[in-house]
Formats: sequence, structure tokens, C-alpha cells
Amino acid sequence: MSHHPITPFHDEDHGADLRAIDASVRLPVLVLFGNAVHWLVVASLLSFVLSVKLIAPGFLGGISFLTYGRLAPMARDLFLYGWASQAALAAGIWLMARLSGRPLGNSLLTILLVSASVFWNVAVLLGTLAIFAGYGTGVEWLEYPNWASAMLLLSFLLIGIWAVLQFDRRINARAEVAQWFLVAGFCWFPWVYGTANLLLTWKPVQASAQGPIQSWYCGSLLTLWLLPIALAAGYALLPRLLECHLNRRNLAALGFWTLLFLGGWNGMERLLGGPVPAWMTSAGVVAGVLFLIPVAIVAINLFGMRPDPKLTDEGEQGVVLPFLRHGLYALLAVAALGALCALPEVSGALRFTAVTEAKVQLWILGAISFPLFGVLYACLPPLLGRDCWCPALSGRHFWFTFSGLWLLVALMLFGGLFTGLALSDPTVSFLNITSYSYPFHVLECAAQLLLLAAAVILGWNLSRALSWDYLTKNPRK
Amino acid sequence: MHRLPTLLSGIFLVFLTSWYGMVAYPVLGLGRLTPVADAETGGTIPAVYGGQAVAGQRVYATEGCIACHSQQVRQTSVTPTDIERGWGVRPSVARDYLRDSTAFLGTRRLGQDLSNVGVRLPDAKWHFKHLYHPSSVCEGSLMPSFSNLFVTRKIQGQRSDEALELTGADAPKEGYEVVPTAEAKNLVAYLLALRHDYPLPEAPVKKSGSGPAK
Repeated sequence: MSHHPITPFHDEDHGADLRAIDASVRLPVLVLFGNAVHWLVVASLLSFVLSVKLIAPGFLGGISFLTYGRLAPMARDLFLYGWASQAALAAGIWLMARLSGRPLGNSLLTILLVSASVFWNVAVLLGTLAIFAGYGTGVEWLEYPNWASAMLLLSFLLIGIWAVLQFDRRINARAEVAQWFLVAGFCWFPWVYGTANLLLTWKPVQASAQGPIQSWYCGSLLTLWLLPIALAAGYALLPRLLECHLNRRNLAALGFWTLLFLGGWNGMERLLGGPVPAWMTSAGVVAGVLFLIPVAIVAINLFGMRPDPKLTDEGEQGVVLPFLRHGLYALLAVAALGALCALPEVSGALRFTAVTEAKVQLWILGAISFPLFGVLYACLPPLLGRDCWCPALSGRHFWFTFSGLWLLVALMLFGGLFTGLALSDPTVSFLNITSYSYPFHVLECAAQLLLLAAAVILGWNLSRALSWDYLTKNPRK
Repeated sequence: MHRLPTLLSGIFLVFLTSWYGMVAYPVLGLGRLTPVADAETGGTIPAVYGGQAVAGQRVYATEGCIACHSQQVRQTSVTPTDIERGWGVRPSVARDYLRDSTAFLGTRRLGQDLSNVGVRLPDAKWHFKHLYHPSSVCEGSLMPSFSNLFVTRKIQGQRSDEALELTGADAPKEGYEVVPTAEAKNLVAYLLALRHDYPLPEAPVKKSGSGPAK
């Protein structure tokens, strides 16, 4: 068979009882990943509808809850909280349990994690419906009403506290690099999300102070919560898939701390020239450029791993390896793009164009989602105890996601560049520029369709794997 | 970094740097800005919003206008475009947002910047018509119709003063009229109140002025 179940962690894993660990986290991980994928399908569908609305503004027009202004935040928040954050939680739980070498220990904890996961999804559902019904807050990336965001934070805390304690209970004396990233991610989300919600939506501070906090939140959510989990996936899975060791551990430590330090400042360049003190945006520009350092370190670490020569064929490992590797390519691309867009001249021309959106897409759908897809493909076979993926569907999912993402990003970059240059010439009217971007918008529809197809294929592959499991009740012997 | 306390304190300290710079400092510094006295009118700058405009901010938020519109005129040191395009006469500064409940700075300009829309387009009737059917007044506009903020009703006695002057396919049936809802009126009141064109100590206005938005 060309595709066999991937069971990373089979090597010298401190003699931990992997089967017991998998059994103990199976339910929460399945609930989180299952729901994450279904939100991904919904979000991709909404994105497709949004892209059609840009070429035909009248499409589904005049219906309050289907206007662009409501669907756009719904889609964005579903990508962030329904898909990415939830998949990161699932990946985080599984990786943390595996790396620490201990099962949950008691069934009460399992119930707690499952309840928190369900609660998270209820919050996402209600938050989405609230935006739909016209109760959004209008704060970018924080559109959920107060009660929904409070529910999200509470569910996260229940899972996050467990993850940090699990690190403390680990059986390996020397913590793995992946474990640092996991602990950091789980610590940062509540702080970042709690602070931003408190100061922007729960008890808003004077609006003159909100700009920097908004930028800080958007930057930190990506670089300090989702990215660390995605990197943990790379640091944990790559050495095991390639059957080799991580060299240059000290370099990894440097990468870890510089990432955390610069990640928090990375975001202010979004306000370059805006209504904030100049030193803040200058700090953002510096952080945006210096962010290349931790990213380069991660790349040296992860690409520097040479597979064990005895490993016969990497191709047999299925799509896990390609997803992890292409996540890194996307990270390199987005860090380079970020550094470029942080330069005042470039920002001045391109900040409000599709280039900014291209960056966000590369972050969410590339640098973060690709490694999370990798974890999903890696964790399900051991969790279910059998080869559950359909290799043809997995392969198609990879290629559709890959081509959809890069097509979308390329179109947004070219379209953004084009409109940015046209905007710099005040003799060209705004409506004229809008008409220039029409062909790009048409092609973006095609890219969104590819991404929607990818999400549907993944959903089909996953539901096929899961329902077969429930029908046959065939746990690992 | 093998002991949890060591790792946690490291993470905590690193976090504090950006948290201090980008959260605590803005709250303590920018968050304490106050309006300045207006010598001409005896009031304050920026002038506070009227009741309708305050309610209009909610509509602006829930309808997601921020998905396509920014509200900031950038410093000329970064780009002269915003002012050259007539989106404002001077760069926006933090004090301009004092009266807002949320700073709708925006990240995308699928539509035009709105920081000075009340100055650029001061006609409420134009805004109602534009919201009802954007491309009827701006040929080729990407903006969707917000006809959900209007009601079509039977004319009772005399035609309402508020009824929209619609022609062609938009015109309602004989004996009917299209009038804005309270939400539409609040939103337009808010849009008309949007202006960053008054001089502030940190943002003086050059006398040369600017042409209409292009």
C-alpha cells in the first residue's frame, strides 16, 4: 500500500504508553478537529460568496444579513476562531499529551476538555449568528459580542491551563523545543485575547488609544498564539517523520525568544503614517524587518534536518511532510512580504490595497493552516488506531489548497500593486481604479473556488474516516 | 528552560515589553488626551457628536462598513496620496478620535476613505440615494446596496419630505414611496459628522485647501 498510517513518536519516546495517551485525548482532539474542519468549510464558502460580491455587488443584494459588511467579518472570524484557533487547540492538546508522555490521568479531565471544546463551538456559533443578525462590534477580528468573546476566553482557559500543567507533569527531563512553543502559545492567547477584548469591546478605552491596541492584537494573535502552535507541529513531527534529530538546539532557543519578543511588536507597522505617535510605528517597522531573524532560524532548524538514510521513501509518509514543509515556505514568504511592506515607501503605496489581504491570507491559510493540516493528517491514524485517510482525497486536498492559496496570493499581490500605483496618481479617479481591479477580482473567485473545493474534500475525507470508525467500532487491538 | 517557572517567567517578561509599549502606554498616554478649546465658537474641538450621529456609529459597526472603508488620512511623510486625493486637508491624529466609541481606522480601501466624508459630501439626500443604490450615483461602484435600511410604503396623503427621488428601475410603484429608516438616518447623521479638517495644536491646517475628492 502506498499510504500507511503515520505514527510519529514511535521512536525512543521515553517508554511512554502511547496507546493510553492517545485513548485519553482521543475525544477532545476529535471534537475540536472535527468542528474546526466544518467551520473551515463554512468560512471557505463565505469567502467564495464574498469574492463573487466583489465582481457583482448586486449578488444576494438588499438582504441585510447577507451584505458584504456582515459576511466579511463572519468569514474572517470563522477562519480565526472556528478553524485556526480550534485546530491549534486540537493540535496543541495532542502534541502536548504525546510530548509530555503522560495520559490525561482521569476521566474528569477528559470530560472537562470535551466540555470546553463544545463550549468553544457554541461561542463561535452564537458569535457568528450575532454578526449575521447585526450585533457585531465593528472592531476588526473582535466582532463577536461581549458574551461570546467571554465564552471563548473561558473555554480556552480550561484547555490552556491543562496544557501548561501537562508540561509540568512531563516525563522527559529535557523539554523539547516544540514544548516551549506550545507553552508559549497557550500562555499568550488568553492574555492577548483578554486584553484586547477588555480594552476594545468589553469596556472600551477612549478611541484615541484604540488604534495601537487593535494593531497589536491582530499581529499578536497570528505571531504569538497561532504561529507558535504551528511551529511546535514542525519541531515535534519533522524529526520523527524523517527519523533524525534536531541539531542546533541553542539556535532554536534564540529563535524562540526573538520570535516572542519581536512578535509582540510586529503589527504596529499596520498603522504607518496613521494617528499614533511616530515612535510606535517606527518600532513596528524595525520589528517587521527583524522578524526575518526568528523565521530564518526556524527555517535553518527545520530545513536543516537530514532524513535518516535508512528511511526508504519519504513519499510513503503521505501528505504530512508536504504540509509541514509548505507551511514553512509560506512562513518564509509572509515574513519577507511583511518586512517589505513595513518599509515606509512600500507601506505608503500598498497599505490599504489587496497586498495587505494577501499577507493575511498567507498567514492564516499558509503559515498557520498548513502545519495544522499536517498535524490533523498525522494524529488521526494513531488516534483511531488504523489507516483512516483516503490517500487520493488527501493528495487532492493538498494540491487544491496549495494551488488555491498561491493563486489567490499572487492575484492579490499583483492586483494590490496595480491599484496601489494607480492610487498614487491623483489624476486617476477612484472609480477608474476600481474598474482596473475587476479582472483580478474575477480570477480571485476561481482561487476561492479552489480553496472551497479543498475544504470540502478535507471535510469529506474526515467524515468518511470518522463515520467508518463509528460504524465498525474498530479500535486498535 | 526545562522548569515550568523559568519558562513561564521568561514568557511573561517578554510579553510585558510589547504589552507595555502597545497597550499600557497608549491607554495611559493617548487614552488621556482631552479636547481643545475652540476660540471661534467657544466649544471644543473635536466637537461632540449629536444624538443621531452617536447612534449612527452602531450602524456603521454592525453593517461592517470597516470591511471596505478606512478613516485615517496618513502623514505626508509616508504618502502624499491621501491628501492629494482630497480625502483630507491634514493628516489624522489620535485626538481626532476622541468622540468616537470605536476607532474605525480600517485596513482596506475597497471604497474611499471616510475621515472627512462629512466635508466632502455634505448632502444628506445624496447619501440616502447612494446607500439605497450606490451605482446609481457612482457608476461602477463596488459598494453593495443597503436598501435594507429603507422601507417602501404606500403614500398616506402627502408624499413624505424624506422620500427618495428615485428614477428608472429604482422608482417605486405608483402611489408608493421609499423612505429611510431610523437606522439609515442615524448612519447618515454620523457620516455627515465625520471630519478631521479643524486645526489642532499637533495638526495645523494649511490655508491652501484642497479640491473635491477624486
